[in-house]
Amino acid sequence: MQGTKVVRPFPFFRAGARASQPQLSKPILVLEDVYKFFRPDQPTLRGVNLLVDRGEFVFITGPSGAGKSTLLKLVYRELTVDEGRVLFCGRDIGRLTDGSVPFLRRNLGIVFQDFRIIDHWTVFENVAVALEILSIPQRLIRSRVAEALERVGLAGRGPEQTSNLSGGEKQRVAIARAIVPEPALILADEPTGNLDPHLAIDILTLFEEINATGTTVLFATHDHSLISKRDHRLVAIDEGRVVEAQKGLKHWPGSGIHTLVG
Amino acid sequence: MDVKSAMTRARRGLREERRLYVVAVTSLAVAFLCLGATLLGVTNLDAAATRWGHSGRITLFLKDDADPQDIAQLRVVLEGLGDVSEVTHVTPEQARASFLEEADVGADLGSLPSEVFPASLEVTLVNGVTRERSESIASRLGQFRAVSDVESYRGWFEKLDHLLWGARMLAAGLALLVVFCVVAVIGNTIRLAVARRRQEIEVMKLCGATNGFVRGPFVLEGMFQGFASALLAVLALLAGYLALHEPVDSTLAALTGSRIVFLSAWTMLALLLGGALIGAIGSALSVRRYLSV
Repeated sequence: MQGTKVVRPFPFFRAGARASQPQLSKPILVLEDVYKFFRPDQPTLRGVNLLVDRGEFVFITGPSGAGKSTLLKLVYRELTVDEGRVLFCGRDIGRLTDGSVPFLRRNLGIVFQDFRIIDHWTVFENVAVALEILSIPQRLIRSRVAEALERVGLAGRGPEQTSNLSGGEKQRVAIARAIVPEPALILADEPTGNLDPHLAIDILTLFEEINATGTTVLFATHDHSLISKRDHRLVAIDEGRVVEAQKGLKHWPGSGIHTLVG
Repeated sequence: MDVKSAMTRARRGLREERRLYVVAVTSLAVAFLCLGATLLGVTNLDAAATRWGHSGRITLFLKDDADPQDIAQLRVVLEGLGDVSEVTHVTPEQARASFLEEADVGADLGSLPSEVFPASLEVTLVNGVTRERSESIASRLGQFRAVSDVESYRGWFEKLDHLLWGARMLAAGLALLVVFCVVAVIGNTIRLAVARRRQEIEVMKLCGATNGFVRGPFVLEGMFQGFASALLAVLALLAGYLALHEPVDSTLAALTGSRIVFLSAWTMLALLLGGALIGAIGSALSVRRYLSV
């Protein structure tokens, strides 16, 4: 921590707060001419511009190492931009103090390829942790966790040990943990990468159901079989640059899927 | 920080890492036991010093040719002093008998004649007379004609003061060493626990946990370890005290006139709270570096 004062950027960043009308009309996420360097001569992201409206479902795709995860990490502030700006709900998150970052993350649900759930905890404990952070009363935590587990198809499995679950079920637990605080934006970083194609479609459908309730979803994947099945907006990153299509692969400006995912 | 949630998570952490914590608490209890034993020594030396200091005595050795009238006059003067509670005249015969009885010497010294032992006036001062006041009385009494020498036991008190100072320094040094041990052991224990629970920390941070939320249970666990170690040491010390104080007490009472005392309630409280505080500080320091997710 930097020792500077904690900035709670605006009411929307507080747990349980709803966006005001002016905020609702703004795009939820804007990337303005973003550069990220891991090596001085070779930027991972070069001049990325992206605008995501509230309630959108966006595929982010590109070959391995293209910068999909980097882009998401810039949004949840695991990394900071070297040039340009990332605006979440109009706020430049690159300028948040370290103490304010937790309040940004409380508005985000993050799902990873490797699930990142705690094996020696129960399903309930894994999901409840996202609400315990918000100091929500236990009674409310119980009901909201039960509701989230029902949404991901794990109703009544709260007391089970997570280590006994299958890969698909573990990912559902991770999704339940991401949605339980009702975040404004869900960032899914290759959430189907460890699952077989059938389960991958199930998980994608689950994200679409979550999106249907108004939550914005950024779904990073390099699996073109998934992308080709849906008509969501498509953002491709290749060699650090962004190309996009508003309605899936059918409207892709290039010469086909291979130009997209390499 | 939500204390209730931190306590729940700390309980879970203690349960999951119980073996690690048992080893740490046992090691720390030994360190606290050393400190507690030293403090017990200092407490008893203090108590003895206070007792001796308050039951002040002066011995006036009388000249062999002292006039009985001068001695009687001296007694009158002494009994008139407000600081004096009792004056006893010890004749050479009484001094010899007392020496032979207390010193447990062999036949060689038993043949010493009474003339070797000077007559004296044993002056007992009232409780609460300071050492300075006792010294001033002794120097004035030394000017009487019948008095050959005055013993105010100043040398004894000076030696006792030195001994107490040394014991206090030893206790302070040990306290520093114990603080260092506690911070190091608890720090390392928590560091191990943090390394094993790194994924939990990462998940919590990604869900929006503040550093305080993540740190809370670890600080409580460190606090518990420090407190439990100090408590274990105090209990072990108490058990030792209860087992030994009867046989040691009678010997000590015969030798020094004082009895063994246990640590005061405040000292025990300070040990327990100090243990908890140092434990908390040690774990807060060690968890700090793992918070940058």
